[in-house]
Amino acid sequence: MKTFKKYWAIFQITLVNSLAYPGELIGRSLLIVPFMWIFYQLWKVTFSAAGSDAINGMTLYSTMWYLMMAETIELSRPALARTISDNVKDGSIAYLLNKPYNFLLYQFSNSIGETIFRALVNAIFGGVIVWWLVGPPPAPIGWLFACLAIFGTWVLNFCITCLIGLSAFLVEDVSPFMWIYQKLIFILGGFLIPLDFYPGWLQVIAKALPFSAMIYGPSKLFVSPSIGLFANVLLMQSLWIIALGATLIISYRRGVAYLTVNGG
Amino acid sequence: MEVDLTPALAQGGRGGKEVMKELKFLFAVWQANLQSLMEYRVSFLTQVIGMMLNNFIYFAIWIIFFDRFKEVRGWGISDMYITFGILASAVGLAELLFGNAFTLSEIINQGRLDYYLSLPRPVLLHAISSRTIAAGMGDFTYGFVSYALSGQFSWDGLLRFVLAMLLAAIIFTAFIVLIQSLAFWMGIISNLTSLAFNAIVTFGIYPITLFDNYAKLILFTVIPAAFVGAIPAEFIREFTWRTLAELLVGAVGFLFIALTIFRLGLKRYESGSAIQIEV
Repeated sequence: MKTFKKYWAIFQITLVNSLAYPGELIGRSLLIVPFMWIFYQLWKVTFSAAGSDAINGMTLYSTMWYLMMAETIELSRPALARTISDNVKDGSIAYLLNKPYNFLLYQFSNSIGETIFRALVNAIFGGVIVWWLVGPPPAPIGWLFACLAIFGTWVLNFCITCLIGLSAFLVEDVSPFMWIYQKLIFILGGFLIPLDFYPGWLQVIAKALPFSAMIYGPSKLFVSPSIGLFANVLLMQSLWIIALGATLIISYRRGVAYLTVNGG
Repeated sequence: MEVDLTPALAQGGRGGKEVMKELKFLFAVWQANLQSLMEYRVSFLTQVIGMMLNNFIYFAIWIIFFDRFKEVRGWGISDMYITFGILASAVGLAELLFGNAFTLSEIINQGRLDYYLSLPRPVLLHAISSRTIAAGMGDFTYGFVSYALSGQFSWDGLLRFVLAMLLAAIIFTAFIVLIQSLAFWMGIISNLTSLAFNAIVTFGIYPITLFDNYAKLILFTVIPAAFVGAIPAEFIREFTWRTLAELLVGAVGFLFIALTIFRLGLKRYESGSAIQIEV
């Protein structure tokens, strides 16, 4: 319980810190507005050209709300990999390692604290513009399922970005890994196009990977909530959290053993 | 009546010499940047290959989209290859030659312009050309590959691609400098610069036929995405004097506005007493 309190306090401090610069918070979230507007233009023309109100079970309305949720998740991700990689490269990790807390749990509490208000403000801006474009949001049960699944997304994202950040123990620059991770989220997560529009074979591959459990799962739950889909998303997230979490712990232990810090 | 042209010719000659001098200096700066990058070859190669892979994966989304929906108001996958290609190469060229343009607002806010002001060289040109972004080589190269894969490749098209890329890179760099120079008045503007960068790159990739007339007006002025995506792509597909004129006017216009804004802003610049720290 005492251990939990420690990380809860770290989480609270970061959460309050994230509100210290409201202008920064709002400014950062404004990006979702032009994105949703472009998506609306693209999908309005696409649905109109298809001559149908629904394509593979998705309407313009559900596609727009799906994309709003997907954008909210993606745009709220903290730049954890860069932070950790900088910590490793400039040696400041040494100051974090000798503190009375677990480095990974500290980073996790920090990243969740940083993400919550960012996600909330993105959802507000995105929600307002999509409401204005296509009408009111889906049923409240969708919000509930999506919010629960988003927590799993944050844990998965933490595992992957932390692994990328820790790769700075081995390589000089981790940016290419970040770009590629982001693009895998884009394509296999269903970030720009819902997976429902993909060819069957690609849907099977995408749905077996963690990226779809991070973006497609929560976003689809938001617009088409069902117990079956909810259970499936949670199962996929749990399996990937176990696999990636174990990889992260092993990599971290090896990385710390490999660490050499010069100077004082 | 005889007119003595000697002073005018001498002045013209001096102007030409000045330009040559600045060009020589610029090439020396780029050479130094390149040598600096080559000190970390593995990192350089990782970034170049990583960026090419990144672009390829990003473009795969459009392949999936057009495989499913075939075309959007007359735009097909072939047009997307060209649009994506020209945008990637233009952005890549800007990153390679004027890498500091992307962080100019930080340089202004941290008082690091002192270093450039203390030297007898054009301040803006020296400041923005003093860094090369390695990943730019990945973008630059990928653009040519994308054009080659478009199915509309031709040798005269390649010449148009190079010309359009140069003009699009001027417009893109000018737009970035213009936005970053607002730091003279607004201080820390990381959100605005990030928003502007993402907006021009994102809007630039999307088919121009999606947008109505009001949106198009924005894409030619406030966010000149049409000048770095759709218009150069149109010029590459088929030469017309109209598209060439549009690109030239865009390049001259945005360059003029960017230089004016930077000069006006420079009058408000406050020294950071940081002459010694720029390396």
